[in-house]
Amino acid sequence: MKPDLAAVVARFSALLHAAGLPVTPERAGRWAAAVALAPPVTLSQLYWLARVTLVAEQAQLALFDRVFAQVFEGMVDPADFRGDAAPAEPAQGETRPGQPGSPARPGSLSPRGGALPGLGGDTAGETGEQDSITALLSPDERLRHQDFARLTPQELARVRDLAARLSLAPPPRRARRRARARRRAEMDVRATLRRARRTGGEPLVTEHRRRRQRPRRVVLICDISGSMESYTRAYLQLLVSGVGGSRAEAFVFATRLTRLTRALAGCGPDAALERAGRLAPDWSGGTRIGEALKAFNDGHGRRGLARGAVVLVLSDGWDTGDPEVLAREMQRLRRLAYRIVWANPRKAAPGYRPVTGGMAAALPFVDTFVSGHSLAALDEVLEAIA
Amino acid sequence: MTSVAELIPSPSALRDGLDRVGYLADEGIATALFCAARLPQPLLLEGEAGVGKTEAAKSLAAVLDTPLIRLQCYEGIDAAEALYEWNFPRQLLAIKASEATGQTLSEHDLFGRDYLTGRPLLRAVEHPGPRPAVLLIDEVDRADDEFEAFLFELLGEASVTIPELGTIHATHPPIVVLTSNRTRDLHDALKRRCLYHWIDYPDVERTAAIIRRRVPAASEPLAAQVAEAVSRLRSLDVQKPPGVAEAINWVLALELLGLGELDGPAAAATFGSVLKYRDDLELVMERGPAWVASGS
Repeated sequence: MKPDLAAVVARFSALLHAAGLPVTPERAGRWAAAVALAPPVTLSQLYWLARVTLVAEQAQLALFDRVFAQVFEGMVDPADFRGDAAPAEPAQGETRPGQPGSPARPGSLSPRGGALPGLGGDTAGETGEQDSITALLSPDERLRHQDFARLTPQELARVRDLAARLSLAPPPRRARRRARARRRAEMDVRATLRRARRTGGEPLVTEHRRRRQRPRRVVLICDISGSMESYTRAYLQLLVSGVGGSRAEAFVFATRLTRLTRALAGCGPDAALERAGRLAPDWSGGTRIGEALKAFNDGHGRRGLARGAVVLVLSDGWDTGDPEVLAREMQRLRRLAYRIVWANPRKAAPGYRPVTGGMAAALPFVDTFVSGHSLAALDEVLEAIA
Repeated sequence: MTSVAELIPSPSALRDGLDRVGYLADEGIATALFCAARLPQPLLLEGEAGVGKTEAAKSLAAVLDTPLIRLQCYEGIDAAEALYEWNFPRQLLAIKASEATGQTLSEHDLFGRDYLTGRPLLRAVEHPGPRPAVLLIDEVDRADDEFEAFLFELLGEASVTIPELGTIHATHPPIVVLTSNRTRDLHDALKRRCLYHWIDYPDVERTAAIIRRRVPAASEPLAAQVAEAVSRLRSLDVQKPPGVAEAINWVLALELLGLGELDGPAAAATFGSVLKYRDDLELVMERGPAWVASGS
């Protein structure tokens, strides 16, 4: 069998592209070069040459295997070439952005004109009945204390503009690098010698240095289940500005955990929300906080993402899962993170006590428990982070 | 002198070569390393901890009989630690010496190659041959993301630029292998310049073969038992699934204790070699050491 390999390369690349795996001309060219270098005789040789040159990350492997199996249908099962699959790898309940296995959201991708659910018109009308004090405040000032759940869409848009200006100020940690410092820091012999070159090799002036400080990483984990629906719009804005301004990591969960950092980075808030809606298939679903945190700990936290970080959980603590799982995972997170802040919008309601199973289980491991139900309360959240 | 192309004419030849130096490669990793060395193109290796990413680069260097230059990345690594640094004390001594002897010393002399301390990347580029060096950039995800951008010139052009000296082009462009544990996403610009290979855990037979190769003293049944036990541990919901390195350590521990067979008590006594979390240990003890050892 001597098929025209160049044609095979081109056709296969086009199919991968059509299936959603981006094959740049650069990579296709590399594949062609590799095939010329070691002409494949068996299908498995062809498979490996293609995989090594065309795939850019692990998340693309499943899609690649599927397309490969399609093209060479029945001839081969790509799984044969591989060893033991890593069991814990794509942790259950977690979708990776761009992973083909993750079910796309059925039906319309963007209800209400490219927006996400959560912006219901259902609460309009209530806003007219403000008490006299808030009526005297400027519109912005009044908005600051308004519960997110009771805003009209127009007001919510305004709140989003305000929230976009929020910036996280995570506490610093000691970095490994050192920077120049004034007296009484440690002496920098190397810099002193360098400086001595200006004075003919005599070290007249001593240089000093000290460790630099860098802001800690911030991890934002937002509950997007049904019970949080009225808050998610505003909170997502916080995620967007956190990722954009402070390089925070963003995750959302209802029944499963979705990493949104890349989806939210580098685009305007509306586009970010629209992309986020496509990635997380479980908007307004039920809540399994414990399992979502487990997916986070297994897949991200333990690898180093949560180590020494400030973790902010935005959730009302309504958990349909096992509170014991939540307690265990909070304990694990506690051991990794520098600080855990939990923002629960229900906390502001008069008479609220954290006795729901999930919240009660999580609370012992939380450093700061705040409400975060309005813009003013979000300030409190930011303060708790700093 | 034999060239790289003569040493490894095909992926299967490389596989045999790796086998001879004690690294049991499957077809995938052999193909990936072959492409990295022959295209040549930097290779990004990812996989769970303990699947042999670093070992792959070391073995490639051994097959090619060429030095392995390793750059271990860490947070805050910068050009002075990765690429080059001027040797200030030596420059000062030269100034002093020229003063004492009354010679004149030009700036050009002072910023010559003699006064440069080469760090791993520069050493890899300057490697005189006859075959290119293997440059291992280990755990690149630990470095800051700014550092990635700093690698582009090396990965793309196989050259480094030193302002005072100009650009140094490699006569033998190094074979570059990068590894990552995925603690963070690497930048697309870095990925674009690299081949990619994801290493899975080896299956039971291959694990057993690797154990036999690395611990020649171990009997064949023991190697097979441990390979199966490790695979069983991975099927449990443990925080840190044991890799090949743990399997080898486990066999070493069993050998040391004079236990020629893996049974329940022997496994329970040596779990410290494979399970590194208390939670994992509790979970496994609940399931029973006998099950781990024999599957029933």
